[in-house]
Amino acid sequence: MSSGGFWAMGGYARYVWPCFILGVLVLAWNLWSARRYHAAALLRVRRALAMAASEKNHDS
Amino acid sequence: MWTWFYKLASPPYVYAAAARLAPWFLASAALTIGYGLIDGLAFAPPDYQQGDAFRIIYVHAPGAWMSTFIYTTMAVAGAIGLIWRIKMGHAVAAACAPIGASFTLLALATGSLWGKPMWGTYWAWDPRLTSELILLFLYFGVMSLRSAFEDAAQGDRAAALLAVVGVVNVPIIHYSVVWWNSLHQGATVAKLGKPAIELSMLWPLLSMILGFMLFFGAVLCMRLQGEVLNRERQAAWVRDAVKSREAVKS
Repeated sequence: MSSGGFWAMGGYARYVWPCFILGVLVLAWNLWSARRYHAAALLRVRRALAMAASEKNHDS
Repeated sequence: MWTWFYKLASPPYVYAAAARLAPWFLASAALTIGYGLIDGLAFAPPDYQQGDAFRIIYVHAPGAWMSTFIYTTMAVAGAIGLIWRIKMGHAVAAACAPIGASFTLLALATGSLWGKPMWGTYWAWDPRLTSELILLFLYFGVMSLRSAFEDAAQGDRAAALLAVVGVVNVPIIHYSVVWWNSLHQGATVAKLGKPAIELSMLWPLLSMILGFMLFFGAVLCMRLQGEVLNRERQAAWVRDAVKSREAVKS
């Protein structure tokens, strides 16, 4: 298949390529949101730890 | 076997196992999806009826397969949480929901884009399309129900119950093309003994499905780590784990 023919997808390019772009977007969103979810949970624990440490210092 | 089952119910074990497994799943997913994309887009021959439009199958079918597979996983995890009162079952179910919803959306959107050149319309109230849309609403319902309760445990139970009841939709989606008159084509891969697709077209499809499943494994592990941390915030092991993680970083 020539390069031009490959991108033209036999005249179906406007249906085929958006599907693959959507696929990539869904995979990327899943990775990004899963990492962000984990990072946010870690941040909450770190904040709680920092708050507990500052309360301990304040008491002593 | 029971020891393994009880280990799976232990949050520190689940957290550590998810952290170890995620990169392996992700690397294997990148390889299999990469192979499937290159083979499917560049080397598989065009279909004799649909021409190159058939290549949409390499995104649509794995997305549709994942939408029902993840829903079943979510329902089983929810049932384990309900029946055995295992908190990690609810954590897995909660982590599954947004991933499953995104794959359902992908299946619907790519199906719609495939439908236009083949059926002449982006949407029809066809049994397969309608049952898949109901699946998306079920995912949204499960997620909304979980967050609707102030008491997290109550939210988990309600969401698990809806997930278990909603699993009845999964065989309906699968058999909708058999039970009713449908625009949608019949099974392509399910008939493994006699697949309705040429082998050079089938390999990249199987590779994409396997890649999507491995990718699901990776993002499930990542989400599950966040889910476990959120649920076990007050536990001493979480504080120790975060402290040791920071010590390693510095």
